[in-house]
Amino acid sequence: MSAILGFFKKNKLIAVALVAYLVVLVLSPETFRKALQQNGAFLWEMLQILPPIMVISALISVWVPNETIMKGFGNSSGLKGKVLSVLIGAFSAGPIYAAFPVAKTLFDKGASVGNVVIILSAWAVVKVPMYLVETSFLGARFANTRYLLTIPFILAMGVILQRLVKREDLPLSEVDREIQRIEQQLPGRHCGACGCTDCHAFAVAVREGKMRMEECKVLGKSKAG
Amino acid sequence: MTTIILLSIAGGFFSWSLLKDRSKTKESVKIARGLFLSTALQVAGVLALVSLFLALIPPELIRKVMGSANETASIIWGSVIGTITIIPAFIAFPLSKSLVQSGAALTAIAAFLTTLTMVGFATFPIEKGYFGTKFAILRNLFSFLAAISIALLMGVML
Repeated sequence: MSAILGFFKKNKLIAVALVAYLVVLVLSPETFRKALQQNGAFLWEMLQILPPIMVISALISVWVPNETIMKGFGNSSGLKGKVLSVLIGAFSAGPIYAAFPVAKTLFDKGASVGNVVIILSAWAVVKVPMYLVETSFLGARFANTRYLLTIPFILAMGVILQRLVKREDLPLSEVDREIQRIEQQLPGRHCGACGCTDCHAFAVAVREGKMRMEECKVLGKSKAG
Repeated sequence: MTTIILLSIAGGFFSWSLLKDRSKTKESVKIARGLFLSTALQVAGVLALVSLFLALIPPELIRKVMGSANETASIIWGSVIGTITIIPAFIAFPLSKSLVQSGAALTAIAAFLTTLTMVGFATFPIEKGYFGTKFAILRNLFSFLAAISIALLMGVML
């Protein structure tokens, strides 16, 4: 029982949805049936899209070096970074919730806040297959005008949010949290006796398995004494 | 189509990774599993609520409020409906077309389509989890403003 409660506490949205569905089932079984049908279609789409997206995000985080991402999408990537960000969005697939893990992975590897905004927005709006559908339904003139107007707005939003939101405003990645945990155990003298430039660099090396905790000279001494 | 492209990119990248380095691949599987488990339940909850919303608010009602003679009102309705729902493209585009045919303003349709994809009231909790509250609020706010501006500019250009 408490396990079930714990699950709902962690997944409030599912709890809310469950209650709402029950209410609708009592009041209007017809609406309930329609909602369930739509929900089935949505879930099927999610199950097709999320797993490959997660695999791609994970592989990027393991394989692509931080320097590459920083150079392509970092604070000093300039116009090239912005264009690359729009292109990532344009050739992506799936709804915006699929963009979050990918963009977060790039951010953790050094992409700037502004470029993350551009990737998310372009992912949502600037899509090659969608453009074709839009043209066929609403006409080329409508679709062209909307795209032509949207792209400058997306770029402008990137620039504005880059100014308004700082890196520190975003939650830490799993890796950064681990590094922080290690760093908190260190003396913080930045003495460099271990061979690293400072305690942060040492913590990074420990996490990557390149150094061991015992190699911290200050910590080692206080433990021995 | 989308799925096939995604699956082949993921599959190709994964096999390449497996051939190159088994332990790195293992680590990536661990990360992917964690990412999936933490996001899937949340997304499922959001989708369940949106489905319910769509079942409660039939396309006829959307047609009624967005097709009103008052253009400003229909732009506002278009952007509000676009903001709170996630409607798949295969419903949104035909719906937009029928709206145009029944006399809705093109600007309202533009506001609807742009907010639909770029602003996410429903996906806000997920976005907040990944990027924090400040980022999520500001990005959605500016996207909403951008969508309205795009709609108004389209009114001038078309």
